[in-house]
Amino acid sequence: MKKLLKNDVFQFLSLSVVITLFVYGLNAGKGAIVARTVYNTFIEVLDIVVAVSIFIGLFQVWVKPPTIVKWLGKGSGLKGFILVCTFPILMGGSLFTVFPLLKTLREKGARQGAIASFITAWGGKAPLLPLETKFLGWPFALVRLGFVILFAFVMGLLMDWVGEKAT
Amino acid sequence: MRAGQIYLIIAIVLFGISFLKDKQRSKEALKATFKIFYVVLPVLIFVFVLMGLIEAYVSRETIVSILGQKSGILGILYAEIVGCIALFMPPAVFPFGGYLLKNGASYGSIAGFVFTAILIGITTLPLEFKLLGKRFTIFRNIFTFLLAFFIALLMEVILR
Repeated sequence: MKKLLKNDVFQFLSLSVVITLFVYGLNAGKGAIVARTVYNTFIEVLDIVVAVSIFIGLFQVWVKPPTIVKWLGKGSGLKGFILVCTFPILMGGSLFTVFPLLKTLREKGARQGAIASFITAWGGKAPLLPLETKFLGWPFALVRLGFVILFAFVMGLLMDWVGEKAT
Repeated sequence: MRAGQIYLIIAIVLFGISFLKDKQRSKEALKATFKIFYVVLPVLIFVFVLMGLIEAYVSRETIVSILGQKSGILGILYAEIVGCIALFMPPAVFPFGGYLLKNGASYGSIAGFVFTAILIGITTLPLEFKLLGKRFTIFRNIFTFLLAFFIALLMEVILR
């Protein structure tokens, strides 16, 4: 029971139900609006979320962290820098999964700028393009993707510019 | 055909290719897929509830006045701050952003929100501190916030 209460999945689901019921109790009309929004959006995204989960699952087993570390090396030199600003766009996951990978890259000697570029480029989130284009449209998604590369590039330069001090 | 169905077909075809190349790995991929789905779905539902709450209690005018085109620079800043503290997983960022867009938020605000929601997280700060160091964390988050602001501004000019 204690384990169940600590489970994120359980927490989010029960919180969702409790909030909806609470609103419904206060005002049935508003509660119905909440329920309808949840239902409609859910139906709209279900197939996309399944597809995206498959993309990310496949990527995870075919491109494992050691492979990524090997490919990116130290992220130094122009080629490494360009790679570090673009390749992570293809990756899924949340910050929780990215930081540990970056720690490994760091230990292999990657510069601070390369690490920061990596995180920023990872924010490009190409696996989520189906979701992004559905809700924000292709123009937004493509312009954002273009800027992500620039963003990652400038980020790396800035982080190298402030330099590393003994931490 | 819905876009979602096309993606689903592409995903299944890719999985088929993967399965032909390496069964063991594909089984792992399937496991990973289930796990991602299992973790992401409840968060999505929670965010949909938030969207429902806004739908029920916040008027379109309010969203327009805070995040709309007229709110300009301030709108982008507000959106960025919401992105920083929102506990969203990346997949939940886009439906929520799309919802705000549909209800009158500007492209710039949405861009600011999307960037900080993905790249800055109050909940992940302790982990970043621990794994990548304090100095790195502080500078990275400040620069991310500032650069996201300028890019959001540019995107507003380009897309409006």
